[in-house]
Amino acid sequence: MPNLPILVIGGGPAGLEAARGIADLGYNAILVDKAEFLGGTPISADYAAITPDMRNTEEAMNEMIEKVTDNPLVDIRLNTIVTASEGEAPNLNVTLKNGKGDETINVGSIVVATGFQHFDPGKETQMYGYYEYDDVITLVDAERMLKAGDFVRPSTGEKPKQVCFIQCVGSRDRQIGNFWCSKVCCGIATKEAIEIRHLLPDCRVFVFYIDMRMYGFWEDELYWKAQEEYKVNFIRGIVTEITQRGDTVVVKGEDTTMGRPMEVPMDVVILSVGMEPSEGTKEMSKIFDIPLESHGFIETIGGALNTVETQVPGVFAAGATTGPADLEDSISTGGSAAMKSCAFVRKADLKLA
Amino acid sequence: MSIYKDAKYMDVPYEEKQKLFQEVKDDMRWDTTLYGCYECGICVAACPSARFYDFSPRVFAQIMAREDVDTFYELLNDSVWDCSQCFSCTRCPRQNNPGTIITIMREVAVNHGLSSAKKALQAYSRIIYKIMSTGTQVAPDMLQPDFFPDWGPDVKAVSENLDVWRRAIPPETMHTTELAWDVSEKTRLELYMIWKLTGNLEMIEKIDEGIFMILEEVMEELLDEHGYDIDDFENVLED
Repeated sequence: MPNLPILVIGGGPAGLEAARGIADLGYNAILVDKAEFLGGTPISADYAAITPDMRNTEEAMNEMIEKVTDNPLVDIRLNTIVTASEGEAPNLNVTLKNGKGDETINVGSIVVATGFQHFDPGKETQMYGYYEYDDVITLVDAERMLKAGDFVRPSTGEKPKQVCFIQCVGSRDRQIGNFWCSKVCCGIATKEAIEIRHLLPDCRVFVFYIDMRMYGFWEDELYWKAQEEYKVNFIRGIVTEITQRGDTVVVKGEDTTMGRPMEVPMDVVILSVGMEPSEGTKEMSKIFDIPLESHGFIETIGGALNTVETQVPGVFAAGATTGPADLEDSISTGGSAAMKSCAFVRKADLKLA
Repeated sequence: MSIYKDAKYMDVPYEEKQKLFQEVKDDMRWDTTLYGCYECGICVAACPSARFYDFSPRVFAQIMAREDVDTFYELLNDSVWDCSQCFSCTRCPRQNNPGTIITIMREVAVNHGLSSAKKALQAYSRIIYKIMSTGTQVAPDMLQPDFFPDWGPDVKAVSENLDVWRRAIPPETMHTTELAWDVSEKTRLELYMIWKLTGNLEMIEKIDEGIFMILEEVMEELLDEHGYDIDDFENVLED
Protein backbone atom coordinates (compact mmCIF):
# COMPACT_ATOMS: atom_id res chain seq x y z
CA MET A 1 0.00 0.00 0.00
CA PRO A 2 2.23 2.77 -1.24
CA ASN A 3 1.67 6.40 -0.51
CA LEU A 4 -0.78 6.20 2.34
CA PRO A 5 -1.98 9.74 3.08
CA ILE A 6 -0.78 11.71 6.07
CA LEU A 7 -3.40 13.16 8.35
CA VAL A 8 -2.83 16.73 9.51
CA ILE A 9 -5.07 17.70 12.40
CA GLY A 10 -5.59 21.44 12.72
CA GLY A 11 -5.59 24.08 9.99
CA GLY A 12 -3.71 26.86 11.78
CA PRO A 13 -0.27 28.12 10.76
CA ALA A 14 1.54 24.89 11.77
CA GLY A 15 -1.04 22.57 10.16
CA LEU A 16 -1.19 24.62 6.97
CA GLU A 17 2.59 24.57 6.63
CA ALA A 18 2.68 20.82 7.37
CA ALA A 19 0.00 20.08 4.73
CA ARG A 20 1.72 22.28 2.17
CA GLY A 21 5.08 20.61 2.90
CA ILE A 22 3.62 17.11 2.58
CA ALA A 23 2.05 18.01 -0.78
CA ASP A 24 5.26 19.68 -1.99
CA LEU A 25 7.13 16.47 -1.21
CA GLY A 26 4.65 14.60 -3.39
CA TYR A 27 2.65 12.88 -0.67
CA ASN A 28 -1.07 13.05 0.01
CA ALA A 29 -2.31 15.08 2.94
CA ILE A 30 -5.71 15.08 4.58
CA LEU A 31 -6.17 18.33 6.46
CA VAL A 32 -8.96 18.42 9.03
CA ASP A 33 -10.18 21.32 11.11
CA LYS A 34 -13.11 21.55 13.48
CA ALA A 35 -13.94 25.05 12.23
CA GLU A 36 -15.65 25.89 8.99
CA PHE A 37 -12.59 27.78 7.78
CA LEU A 38 -8.82 27.40 7.64
CA GLY A 39 -6.30 29.67 9.34
CA GLY A 40 -6.68 28.58 12.95
CA THR A 41 -6.52 30.94 15.91
CA PRO A 42 -5.14 33.95 13.98
CA ILE A 43 -8.37 33.91 12.00
CA SER A 44 -10.85 32.64 14.59
CA ALA A 45 -9.62 35.16 17.18
CA ASP A 46 -9.57 38.04 14.65
CA TYR A 47 -5.90 38.93 14.93
CA ALA A 48 -5.33 42.31 13.31
CA ALA A 49 -1.67 42.03 12.34
CA ILE A 50 0.85 39.28 12.82
CA THR A 51 3.81 39.64 15.17
CA PRO A 52 6.47 40.76 14.47
CA ASP A 53 6.01 41.58 10.76
CA MET A 54 2.85 43.62 11.41
CA ARG A 55 1.42 42.25 8.19
CA ASN A 56 -2.34 42.10 7.88
CA THR A 57 -3.27 38.72 9.38
CA GLU A 58 -5.96 37.79 6.90
CA GLU A 59 -3.71 38.60 3.98
CA ALA A 60 -0.83 36.59 5.47
CA MET A 61 -2.99 33.61 6.39
CA ASN A 62 -4.74 33.63 3.01
CA GLU A 63 -1.35 33.34 1.40
CA MET A 64 -0.82 30.13 3.40
CA ILE A 65 -4.35 28.85 2.79
CA GLU A 66 -4.04 29.34 -0.98
CA LYS A 67 -1.12 26.90 -1.00
CA VAL A 68 -3.35 24.04 0.16
CA THR A 69 -6.73 24.82 -1.38
CA ASP A 70 -7.15 23.58 -4.96
CA ASN A 71 -4.05 21.49 -4.36
CA PRO A 72 -4.78 17.98 -5.74
CA LEU A 73 -2.59 16.42 -3.05
CA VAL A 74 -4.43 18.08 -0.14
CA ASP A 75 -7.84 16.80 0.86
CA ILE A 76 -9.40 19.46 3.11
CA ARG A 77 -12.10 18.45 5.58
CA LEU A 78 -13.68 21.35 7.47
CA ASN A 79 -16.24 21.14 10.29
CA THR A 80 -14.57 17.84 11.05
CA ILE A 81 -13.14 16.37 14.24
CA VAL A 82 -11.08 13.26 14.98
CA THR A 83 -12.91 10.94 17.35
CA ALA A 84 -10.96 7.66 17.38
CA SER A 85 -7.88 5.88 16.16
CA GLU A 86 -7.05 2.21 15.79
CA GLY A 87 -3.89 0.39 14.87
CA GLU A 88 -0.33 1.59 14.56
CA ALA A 89 1.40 3.81 12.02
CA PRO A 90 1.94 3.29 9.14
CA ASN A 91 -1.43 1.59 9.20
CA LEU A 92 -3.79 3.72 11.24
CA ASN A 93 -7.55 3.74 10.98
CA VAL A 94 -8.75 7.12 12.11
CA THR A 95 -12.38 8.02 12.55
CA LEU A 96 -13.45 11.45 11.39
CA LYS A 97 -16.77 12.97 12.33
CA ASN A 98 -18.64 15.78 10.66
CA GLY A 99 -22.22 16.89 10.25
CA LYS A 100 -22.93 14.03 7.87
CA GLY A 101 -21.66 11.31 10.19
CA ASP A 102 -18.57 9.20 10.79
CA GLU A 103 -15.94 8.13 8.30
CA THR A 104 -12.90 5.96 8.90
CA ILE A 105 -9.79 6.68 6.89
CA ASN A 106 -6.59 4.73 6.56
CA VAL A 107 -3.48 6.89 7.04
CA GLY A 108 0.25 6.29 7.24
CA SER A 109 1.23 9.04 9.66
CA ILE A 110 -0.21 11.88 11.73
CA VAL A 111 0.70 15.49 12.34
CA VAL A 112 -1.09 16.92 15.36
CA ALA A 113 -1.36 20.69 15.06
CA THR A 114 -4.21 21.44 17.39
CA GLY A 115 -2.41 24.29 19.10
CA PHE A 116 -3.24 26.35 22.13
CA GLN A 117 -6.04 28.31 23.69
CA HIS A 118 -5.83 31.72 25.32
CA PHE A 119 -5.68 31.74 29.10
CA ASP A 120 -9.06 32.50 30.64
CA PRO A 121 -8.49 35.66 32.72
CA GLY A 122 -11.24 34.55 35.08
CA LYS A 123 -8.70 32.08 36.45
CA GLU A 124 -6.06 34.66 37.46
CA THR A 125 -5.32 34.99 41.15
CA GLN A 126 -4.75 38.76 41.21
CA MET A 127 -7.78 41.00 41.32
CA TYR A 128 -8.10 42.25 37.78
CA GLY A 129 -11.86 41.84 37.46
CA TYR A 130 -11.98 40.82 33.80
CA TYR A 131 -15.55 39.64 34.15
CA GLU A 132 -16.43 42.58 36.42
CA TYR A 133 -15.20 45.68 34.59
CA ASP A 134 -16.07 46.44 30.96
CA ASP A 135 -12.83 48.34 30.45
CA VAL A 136 -10.64 45.41 31.47
CA ILE A 137 -10.05 43.38 28.31
CA THR A 138 -7.51 40.88 26.95
CA LEU A 139 -4.94 40.97 24.15
CA VAL A 140 -7.47 39.04 22.11
CA ASP A 141 -10.28 41.56 22.70
CA ALA A 142 -7.86 44.34 21.79
CA GLU A 143 -6.88 42.55 18.54
CA ARG A 144 -10.52 42.40 17.59
CA MET A 145 -10.94 46.17 18.04
CA LEU A 146 -7.67 46.89 16.25
CA LYS A 147 -8.74 44.70 13.36
CA ALA A 148 -11.89 46.80 13.09
CA GLY A 149 -9.62 49.87 13.17
CA ASP A 150 -11.52 51.37 16.08
CA PHE A 151 -9.95 51.17 19.52
CA VAL A 152 -12.38 52.46 22.15
CA ARG A 153 -13.33 52.18 25.82
CA PRO A 154 -15.85 49.35 25.87
CA SER A 155 -17.85 51.06 28.62
CA THR A 156 -18.46 54.30 26.75
CA GLY A 157 -17.43 53.77 23.14
CA GLU A 158 -15.13 56.81 23.48
CA LYS A 159 -11.49 57.04 22.49
CA PRO A 160 -9.27 56.23 25.49
CA LYS A 161 -6.68 58.72 26.79
CA GLN A 162 -4.73 56.28 28.96
CA VAL A 163 -4.30 52.58 28.30
CA CYS A 164 -2.14 49.91 29.90
CA PHE A 165 -1.10 46.33 29.31
CA ILE A 166 -0.47 43.94 32.19
CA GLN A 167 1.97 41.22 31.17
CA CYS A 168 2.20 37.57 32.20
CA VAL A 169 -1.48 37.08 33.02
CA GLY A 170 -1.79 33.31 33.35
CA SER A 171 1.89 32.73 32.65
CA ARG A 172 4.92 32.32 34.93
CA ASP A 173 2.64 31.86 37.89
CA ARG A 174 3.04 29.15 40.50
CA GLN A 175 -0.29 30.06 42.11
CA ILE A 176 -2.12 29.27 38.90
CA GLY A 177 0.09 26.31 38.06
CA ASN A 178 1.21 27.73 34.71
CA PHE A 179 4.97 27.88 35.22
CA TRP A 180 5.86 28.65 31.62
CA CYS A 181 6.49 31.87 29.72
CA SER A 182 4.03 32.06 26.84
CA LYS A 183 6.74 33.50 24.59
CA VAL A 184 4.60 35.73 22.40
CA CYS A 185 2.70 38.07 24.75
CA CYS A 186 5.60 40.55 25.13
CA GLY A 187 5.81 40.92 21.38
CA ILE A 188 2.06 41.02 20.84
CA ALA A 189 1.47 43.58 23.60
CA THR A 190 4.28 45.73 22.16
CA LYS A 191 2.83 45.39 18.68
CA GLU A 192 -0.63 46.35 19.93
CA ALA A 193 0.85 49.26 21.90
CA ILE A 194 2.38 50.57 18.68
CA GLU A 195 -0.93 50.11 16.86
CA ILE A 196 -2.84 51.98 19.58
CA ARG A 197 -0.35 54.86 19.60
CA HIS A 198 -0.52 54.97 15.82
CA LEU A 199 -4.32 55.06 15.88
CA LEU A 200 -4.60 57.41 18.88
CA PRO A 201 -1.53 59.67 19.10
CA ASP A 202 -2.92 61.47 22.18
CA CYS A 203 -3.40 58.26 24.14
CA ARG A 204 -0.68 57.37 26.66
CA VAL A 205 0.19 53.68 26.64
CA PHE A 206 1.87 51.79 29.49
CA VAL A 207 3.15 48.22 29.60
CA PHE A 208 3.59 46.79 33.09
CA TYR A 209 5.98 43.86 32.94
CA ILE A 210 8.20 41.47 34.89
CA ASP A 211 10.78 41.06 32.11
CA MET A 212 10.31 42.07 28.51
CA ARG A 213 11.20 38.98 26.46
CA MET A 214 11.96 40.46 23.09
CA TYR A 215 14.33 37.91 21.64
CA GLY A 216 16.09 38.13 18.31
CA PHE A 217 14.96 40.87 15.99
CA TRP A 218 11.87 41.58 18.08
CA GLU A 219 14.24 43.64 20.22
CA ASP A 220 14.85 46.56 17.90
CA GLU A 221 12.04 45.96 15.43
CA LEU A 222 9.32 45.97 18.09
CA TYR A 223 10.64 46.98 21.50
CA TRP A 224 12.99 49.80 20.55
CA LYS A 225 10.48 51.00 17.99
CA ALA A 226 7.70 51.13 20.60
CA GLN A 227 9.93 52.96 23.08
CA GLU A 228 11.75 55.32 20.79
CA GLU A 229 9.29 56.11 18.02
CA TYR A 230 5.96 55.57 19.76
CA LYS A 231 6.92 56.57 23.32
CA VAL A 232 5.25 53.56 24.87
CA ASN A 233 6.00 53.48 28.61
CA PHE A 234 7.45 50.15 29.71
CA ILE A 235 7.37 50.00 33.49
CA ARG A 236 8.81 47.10 35.42
CA GLY A 237 6.23 46.17 38.01
CA ILE A 238 3.09 44.08 37.90
CA VAL A 239 -0.30 45.42 38.87
CA THR A 240 -1.70 43.77 41.96
CA GLU A 241 -5.30 44.85 41.62
CA ILE A 242 -7.73 46.89 39.61
CA THR A 243 -10.43 48.87 41.32
CA GLN A 244 -13.15 51.17 40.14
CA ARG A 245 -12.95 54.90 40.89
CA GLY A 246 -15.72 57.00 39.46
CA ASP A 247 -16.11 55.90 35.89
CA THR A 248 -12.53 54.70 35.39
CA VAL A 249 -10.58 51.75 36.62
CA VAL A 250 -7.43 52.31 38.69
CA VAL A 251 -4.39 50.06 38.55
CA LYS A 252 -2.23 49.71 41.62
CA GLY A 253 1.35 48.52 41.53
CA GLU A 254 4.98 49.36 42.15
CA ASP A 255 7.41 50.87 39.67
CA THR A 256 10.21 48.60 40.78
CA THR A 257 13.10 50.40 39.10
CA MET A 258 11.98 53.68 40.65
CA GLY A 259 10.99 51.99 43.90
CA ARG A 260 7.81 54.06 43.99
CA PRO A 261 4.17 53.11 44.50
CA MET A 262 1.82 53.73 41.59
CA GLU A 263 -1.89 54.32 41.39
CA VAL A 264 -2.93 55.16 37.88
CA PRO A 265 -6.41 55.64 36.43
CA MET A 266 -6.81 53.86 33.10
CA ASP A 267 -9.47 54.08 30.44
CA VAL A 268 -8.68 50.59 29.19
CA VAL A 269 -6.61 47.81 30.78
CA ILE A 270 -5.43 45.00 28.52
CA LEU A 271 -4.51 41.70 30.15
CA SER A 272 -1.72 39.95 28.28
CA VAL A 273 -3.12 36.46 28.55
CA GLY A 274 -0.81 33.57 27.77
CA MET A 275 -1.16 30.19 26.14
CA GLU A 276 -2.55 26.93 27.45
CA PRO A 277 -2.90 23.62 25.63
CA SER A 278 -6.16 23.68 23.67
CA GLU A 279 -9.00 21.25 24.29
CA GLY A 280 -8.18 19.72 20.92
CA THR A 281 -4.58 19.15 21.96
CA LYS A 282 -5.66 17.41 25.17
CA GLU A 283 -8.21 15.36 23.21
CA MET A 284 -5.63 14.25 20.61
CA SER A 285 -3.25 13.13 23.35
CA LYS A 286 -5.99 10.80 24.56
CA ILE A 287 -7.07 9.52 21.15
CA PHE A 288 -3.54 8.80 19.93
CA ASP A 289 -2.24 7.91 23.39
CA ILE A 290 0.52 10.54 23.26
CA PRO A 291 2.03 11.39 26.66
CA LEU A 292 1.87 15.01 27.79
CA GLU A 293 4.88 16.79 29.17
CA SER A 294 4.76 18.25 32.69
CA HIS A 295 3.05 21.51 31.63
CA GLY A 296 0.21 19.69 29.89
CA PHE A 297 1.30 20.10 26.27
CA ILE A 298 2.09 17.16 23.98
CA GLU A 299 5.56 15.87 24.69
CA THR A 300 8.22 15.61 22.03
CA ILE A 301 11.04 13.18 22.59
CA GLY A 302 14.09 14.83 21.17
CA GLY A 303 14.37 17.87 23.42
CA ALA A 304 15.96 20.72 21.53
CA LEU A 305 17.16 18.38 18.78
CA ASN A 306 13.82 16.94 17.75
CA THR A 307 10.94 19.27 18.27
CA VAL A 308 8.20 17.35 16.46
CA GLU A 309 8.51 13.60 17.17
CA THR A 310 6.28 12.14 19.90
CA GLN A 311 6.66 8.89 21.80
CA VAL A 312 4.11 7.31 19.47
CA PRO A 313 5.81 6.10 16.24
CA GLY A 314 4.54 7.90 13.17
CA VAL A 315 2.72 10.56 15.21
CA PHE A 316 4.25 14.04 15.07
CA ALA A 317 3.24 17.33 16.63
CA ALA A 318 3.77 20.90 15.47
CA GLY A 319 3.15 24.47 16.55
CA ALA A 320 1.77 25.41 19.96
CA THR A 321 0.61 21.82 20.43
CA THR A 322 3.94 21.08 22.10
CA GLY A 323 4.24 24.29 24.10
CA PRO A 324 4.01 28.06 23.70
CA ALA A 325 5.05 29.00 20.18
CA ASP A 326 5.23 32.10 18.06
CA LEU A 327 4.47 32.10 14.34
CA GLU A 328 8.09 31.47 13.40
CA ASP A 329 8.17 28.42 15.70
CA SER A 330 4.85 27.15 14.36
CA ILE A 331 5.80 27.45 10.71
CA SER A 332 9.21 25.90 11.35
CA THR A 333 7.86 22.93 13.25
CA GLY A 334 5.04 22.55 10.70
CA GLY A 335 7.67 22.15 7.99
CA SER A 336 9.75 19.85 10.13
CA ALA A 337 6.74 17.64 10.89
CA ALA A 338 5.93 17.46 7.14
CA MET A 339 9.44 16.28 6.36
CA LYS A 340 9.52 13.74 9.20
CA SER A 341 6.05 12.33 8.52
CA CYS A 342 6.85 11.90 4.82
CA ALA A 343 10.12 10.23 5.74
CA PHE A 344 8.23 7.91 8.08
CA VAL A 345 5.78 6.90 5.34
CA ARG A 346 8.56 6.48 2.79
CA LYS A 347 10.62 4.26 5.06
CA ALA A 348 7.54 2.12 5.72
CA ASP A 349 6.85 1.91 1.96
CA LEU A 350 10.42 0.85 1.24
CA LYS A 351 10.25 -1.85 3.89
CA LEU A 352 7.06 -3.20 2.43
CA ALA A 353 8.33 -3.08 -1.15
CA MET B 1 -1.20 63.59 36.43
CA SER B 2 1.71 61.69 37.94
CA ILE B 3 1.55 57.93 38.00
CA TYR B 4 3.12 57.95 41.47
CA LYS B 5 1.14 57.98 44.63
CA ASP B 6 3.95 59.91 46.38
CA ALA B 7 4.33 62.54 43.64
CA LYS B 8 5.81 65.94 44.53
CA TYR B 9 5.15 69.43 43.12
CA MET B 10 1.56 68.61 42.29
CA ASP B 11 0.68 72.25 43.06
CA VAL B 12 2.72 73.39 40.04
CA PRO B 13 0.47 73.60 36.96
CA TYR B 14 1.07 70.80 34.44
CA GLU B 15 1.38 73.36 31.63
CA GLU B 16 4.36 74.97 33.38
CA LYS B 17 6.09 71.59 33.70
CA GLN B 18 5.23 70.72 30.12
CA LYS B 19 6.75 73.97 28.87
CA LEU B 20 10.10 73.28 30.56
CA PHE B 21 10.00 69.64 29.41
CA GLN B 22 9.46 70.74 25.83
CA GLU B 23 12.35 73.17 26.09
CA VAL B 24 14.65 70.29 27.05
CA LYS B 25 13.37 68.20 24.15
CA ASP B 26 13.76 71.07 21.71
CA ASP B 27 17.46 71.37 22.46
CA MET B 28 19.55 70.71 19.35
CA ARG B 29 21.54 68.00 21.17
CA TRP B 30 18.46 66.05 22.20
CA ASP B 31 18.13 63.70 19.23
CA THR B 32 21.49 62.08 19.89
CA THR B 33 21.21 62.21 23.67
CA LEU B 34 18.41 59.80 24.45
CA TYR B 35 16.90 56.84 22.64
CA GLY B 36 15.08 54.40 24.93
CA CYS B 37 16.05 53.17 28.37
CA TYR B 38 16.41 49.55 29.53
CA GLU B 39 16.51 50.74 33.13
CA CYS B 40 19.46 48.35 33.43
CA GLY B 41 21.53 50.54 35.76
CA ILE B 42 24.84 50.33 33.92
CA CYS B 43 25.07 54.14 34.11
CA VAL B 44 24.42 54.15 37.84
CA ALA B 45 27.06 51.49 38.41
CA ALA B 46 29.58 53.67 36.59
CA CYS B 47 28.54 56.92 38.29
CA PRO B 48 30.78 58.38 41.02
CA SER B 49 28.02 60.69 42.28
CA ALA B 50 25.69 57.74 42.73
CA ARG B 51 28.16 56.29 45.24
CA PHE B 52 27.85 59.29 47.52
CA TYR B 53 24.43 60.79 46.92
CA ASP B 54 20.91 59.58 46.47
CA PHE B 55 21.39 60.22 42.78
CA SER B 56 20.80 58.11 39.68
CA PRO B 57 21.57 58.96 36.05
CA ARG B 58 19.31 56.02 35.12
CA VAL B 59 16.28 57.82 36.51
CA PHE B 60 16.94 60.78 34.20
CA ALA B 61 17.13 58.52 31.16
CA GLN B 62 14.10 56.44 32.03
CA ILE B 63 11.86 59.32 33.05
CA MET B 64 12.76 61.39 30.00
CA ALA B 65 12.34 58.40 27.68
CA ARG B 66 8.92 57.76 29.18
CA GLU B 67 8.05 61.44 28.72
CA ASP B 68 6.89 61.52 32.33
CA VAL B 69 6.47 65.29 32.66
CA ASP B 70 5.58 65.31 36.36
CA THR B 71 8.59 63.28 37.41
CA PHE B 72 10.81 65.30 35.06
CA TYR B 73 9.84 68.36 37.09
CA GLU B 74 10.80 66.60 40.31
CA LEU B 75 14.23 65.83 38.86
CA LEU B 76 14.65 69.36 37.55
CA ASN B 77 14.08 70.70 41.04
CA ASP B 78 15.96 68.11 43.01
CA SER B 79 18.69 65.77 41.90
CA VAL B 80 19.69 67.52 38.65
CA TRP B 81 22.41 69.27 40.65
CA ASP B 82 23.93 66.12 42.14
CA CYS B 83 25.73 65.08 38.92
CA SER B 84 29.45 65.73 38.61
CA GLN B 85 29.25 65.82 34.79
CA CYS B 86 32.03 63.26 34.31
CA PHE B 87 30.07 61.37 31.61
CA SER B 88 31.02 57.93 32.88
CA CYS B 89 27.35 57.15 32.22
CA THR B 90 27.84 57.19 28.45
CA ARG B 91 28.75 53.48 28.42
CA CYS B 92 25.03 52.82 27.81
CA PRO B 93 24.06 49.88 25.53
CA ARG B 94 21.34 52.02 23.94
CA GLN B 95 23.86 54.82 23.42
CA ASN B 96 22.01 57.18 25.71
CA ASN B 97 23.90 60.04 27.31
CA PRO B 98 22.39 60.73 30.76
CA GLY B 99 25.11 63.32 31.49
CA THR B 100 23.98 65.43 28.55
CA ILE B 101 20.31 65.07 29.54
CA ILE B 102 21.42 66.65 32.81
CA THR B 103 23.48 69.36 31.08
CA ILE B 104 20.46 70.38 29.04
CA MET B 105 18.13 70.24 32.04
CA ARG B 106 20.51 72.39 34.08
CA GLU B 107 20.58 74.98 31.35
CA VAL B 108 16.80 75.08 31.30
CA ALA B 109 16.73 75.35 35.11
CA VAL B 110 19.21 78.23 35.04
CA ASN B 111 17.51 80.01 32.14
CA HIS B 112 14.28 80.00 34.07
CA GLY B 113 15.93 80.97 37.35
CA LEU B 114 14.46 77.97 39.14
CA SER B 115 15.06 78.10 42.89
CA SER B 116 16.95 74.78 42.69
CA ALA B 117 19.43 76.40 40.31
CA LYS B 118 19.82 79.44 42.52
CA LYS B 119 20.41 77.30 45.55
CA ALA B 120 22.86 75.02 43.80
CA LEU B 121 24.92 77.90 42.44
CA GLN B 122 24.85 80.01 45.61
CA ALA B 123 28.14 78.63 46.87
CA TYR B 124 29.77 79.43 43.54
CA SER B 125 29.12 83.20 43.50
CA ARG B 126 32.75 84.07 44.01
CA ILE B 127 33.92 81.59 41.40
CA ILE B 128 31.36 82.84 38.89
CA TYR B 129 32.53 86.38 39.51
CA LYS B 130 36.17 85.46 39.11
CA ILE B 131 35.72 83.40 35.97
CA MET B 132 33.48 85.93 34.32
CA SER B 133 35.63 88.94 35.15
CA THR B 134 39.10 87.41 34.73
CA GLY B 135 38.82 83.96 33.20
CA THR B 136 40.69 82.43 36.12
CA GLN B 137 39.28 80.51 39.01
CA VAL B 138 41.48 79.25 41.84
CA ALA B 139 44.00 81.91 42.97
CA PRO B 140 47.26 81.22 44.83
CA ASP B 141 46.15 83.29 47.84
CA MET B 142 43.28 80.91 48.36
CA LEU B 143 45.82 78.34 49.50
CA GLN B 144 45.82 79.07 53.20
CA PRO B 145 46.76 76.38 55.71
CA ASP B 146 43.46 76.73 57.58
CA PHE B 147 41.51 75.90 54.47
CA PHE B 148 43.63 72.98 53.35
CA PRO B 149 44.97 71.16 56.40
CA ASP B 150 45.22 67.98 54.40
CA TRP B 151 47.82 69.53 52.12
CA GLY B 152 50.46 69.27 54.84
CA PRO B 153 52.92 71.66 56.47
CA ASP B 154 54.41 73.08 53.25
CA VAL B 155 51.26 75.06 52.55
CA LYS B 156 51.99 77.17 55.59
CA ALA B 157 55.54 77.90 54.47
CA VAL B 158 54.41 78.74 50.96
CA SER B 159 51.51 80.93 52.01
CA GLU B 160 53.67 82.99 54.36
CA ASN B 161 55.93 84.09 51.52
CA LEU B 162 53.59 83.59 48.64
CA ASP B 163 54.86 86.53 46.63
CA VAL B 164 58.44 85.18 46.72
CA TRP B 165 57.43 81.65 45.82
CA ARG B 166 55.35 82.89 42.90
CA ARG B 167 58.22 84.94 41.55
CA ALA B 168 60.35 81.80 41.54
CA ILE B 169 58.16 80.43 38.74
CA PRO B 170 59.85 81.17 35.38
CA PRO B 171 56.96 82.66 33.30
CA GLU B 172 56.35 86.21 34.35
CA THR B 173 52.62 85.83 33.85
CA MET B 174 52.62 83.53 36.87
CA HIS B 175 54.04 86.13 39.23
CA THR B 176 50.63 86.74 40.68
CA THR B 177 49.01 86.08 44.02
CA GLU B 178 45.42 87.18 43.59
CA LEU B 179 44.96 85.57 40.21
CA ALA B 180 46.16 82.22 38.91
CA TRP B 181 47.97 84.07 36.16
CA ASP B 182 48.21 87.56 34.86
CA VAL B 183 45.25 88.46 32.68
CA SER B 184 45.49 91.39 30.31
CA GLU B 185 42.72 93.92 30.33
CA LYS B 186 42.09 93.20 26.67
CA THR B 187 41.46 89.55 27.51
CA ARG B 188 39.09 90.54 30.29
CA LEU B 189 37.15 92.82 27.98
CA GLU B 190 36.93 90.21 25.26
CA LEU B 191 35.73 87.66 27.78
CA TYR B 192 33.08 90.04 29.01
CA MET B 193 31.90 90.60 25.47
CA ILE B 194 31.69 86.86 24.89
CA TRP B 195 29.59 86.39 28.05
CA LYS B 196 27.36 89.21 26.94
CA LEU B 197 27.02 88.14 23.33
CA THR B 198 26.31 84.50 24.12
CA GLY B 199 23.59 85.31 26.64
CA ASN B 200 25.55 84.02 29.63
CA LEU B 201 25.40 87.37 31.36
CA GLU B 202 21.65 87.38 31.07
CA MET B 203 21.55 83.87 32.52
CA ILE B 204 23.60 85.01 35.53
CA GLU B 205 21.24 87.94 36.03
CA LYS B 206 18.39 85.49 36.53
CA ILE B 207 20.26 83.20 38.85
CA ASP B 208 22.33 85.66 40.95
CA GLU B 209 21.40 89.30 40.57
CA GLY B 210 23.96 90.51 43.11
CA ILE B 211 26.90 89.03 41.23
CA PHE B 212 25.48 90.27 37.97
CA MET B 213 25.31 93.86 39.25
CA ILE B 214 28.87 93.86 40.59
CA LEU B 215 30.18 92.27 37.40
CA GLU B 216 28.41 94.74 35.19
CA GLU B 217 29.58 97.71 37.22
CA VAL B 218 33.22 96.64 37.32
CA MET B 219 33.43 95.62 33.70
CA GLU B 220 31.58 98.58 32.26
CA GLU B 221 33.90 100.86 34.19
CA LEU B 222 36.82 99.07 32.57
CA LEU B 223 35.20 99.53 29.19
CA ASP B 224 34.77 103.24 29.89
CA GLU B 225 38.41 103.55 30.94
CA HIS B 226 39.45 102.15 27.61
CA GLY B 227 37.01 104.32 25.78
CA TYR B 228 34.93 101.50 24.42
CA ASP B 229 31.26 101.83 23.72
CA ILE B 230 29.33 98.98 25.36
CA ASP B 231 27.17 98.49 22.30
CA ASP B 232 30.05 98.59 19.88
CA PHE B 233 31.58 95.12 20.26
CA GLU B 234 33.29 95.04 16.95
CA ASN B 235 35.91 97.69 17.61
CA VAL B 236 36.86 95.87 20.81
CA LEU B 237 37.34 92.61 19.00
CA GLU B 238 39.26 94.23 16.12
CA ASP B 239 41.51 96.20 18.47
